Amino acid sequence: MRGRVIAVILVAAFTAFATAAVWSGRTVAQSPFGDPNAEPAPFNPQMAALMSMLIQPRHTKLGLAGKAENWPLAGYMLKELRQGFAVVSKAVPRFKGLPVPDLADAAVTQPLTLLDFAIKLGYQRQFDEAYESLTKGCNACHATTDHPFIVIKVPDASPFPDQDFAPKR
Amino acid sequence: MQFPARCVGRMMGAVLAMTCAFSIAAWAGGAGFGDDDDNSEEEGPSYFGFVRDTNGATVPDAKVTVGVKNRGGIVTRTDLLGTYKVPGFGKEVDPKDVEVSCDKPGYKQLRVVRRSSPSTDPKIPVETECTLQRI
Repeated sequence: MRGRVIAVILVAAFTAFATAAVWSGRTVAQSPFGDPNAEPAPFNPQMAALMSMLIQPRHTKLGLAGKAENWPLAGYMLKELRQGFAVVSKAVPRFKGLPVPDLADAAVTQPLTLLDFAIKLGYQRQFDEAYESLTKGCNACHATTDHPFIVIKVPDASPFPDQDFAPKR
Repeated sequence: MQFPARCVGRMMGAVLAMTCAFSIAAWAGGAGFGDDDDNSEEEGPSYFGFVRDTNGATVPDAKVTVGVKNRGGIVTRTDLLGTYKVPGFGKEVDPKDVEVSCDKPGYKQLRVVRRSSPSTDPKIPVETECTLQRI
C-alpha cells in the first residue's frame, strides 16, 4: 500500500512539473513562436547567421560578377563584402573565444586588396587568382575556428535567377 | 495491492528520466536565432596566437612550443592562417608560468608578446603573438 502511495505521488509530481514547463509564461492562445504583443526584441544574429546573410551571398555575387567580367558590379560586391567582414567583426568580436577581427584580417585582407587591383584594372586572370586566394582564406578561417566542414568554393552556377551578372554594354 | 520495493525504485527512475528529458526539451526551445554551439570546457584557459614575420604577415607551418615552467610543454604548428591553438593545461597551472616560443627554418625568433585581455571570461584564450625574423 505504501509503495502504491509513493508511486501515485511521483506520477502526480511529474505531471504537475510537465504541465508547468509547457505552459509557463504562455497564455492560452499564444503561438509557440512568441507573443505578438511583446515589444520587438533586438535582432542579434550570431556568427552562423551573419555568414549566411552578409558574407556568403556577397562572395558568390563577387565571383559571378568577376566571371562575367562585369567590373562595376564586381567592384560594388567587393566593397559590400569588405563591409560585411567589418560588420561581422564588430557584431561578434570573439567567436569561440578567438579574435574575429584578427582572423578576418589574416584570412581575407590580402586577397581583398589583390581583388581590388584586378577589378580596377579589369584583369580576369588576376581576378581569378585573387578570388581563389580569398576562397582559400575563407576555408582556412573555418578550419581555425573548428568548422572545417564548411567548405566554400568558386561558384559554378548562379543561385540568383533574378539577377543578370553580364555587364551592360 | 502493494508494489514491491524494486518496482517502486524502477518507477522512480523512470519518472526521473522523463522529468530530465522533458526539462531539456523545454529548455532547448529557448534557443535564440543563429545561436552557435559552445564547446567550452571546464579547464584552465587555452592558448592561442599568431606567428608573424617582421612585415606583419602571418607565418603558416611554424613550430610553436607552449610550455609550462619546469614541466615540459606541447609542440604544435601554425595552420594556414598562421595561428596556433593549445587547449588548457588545467586550472592548477598559472598562465603566468606558461611560455610560448616559435621557430621555423630560415627564421629566428625576434620577440614574443602576450596580449592582455580586459575580459575575465575563461573561454577567452591567453593570446601570445610570436614574431619571426628572416635569417
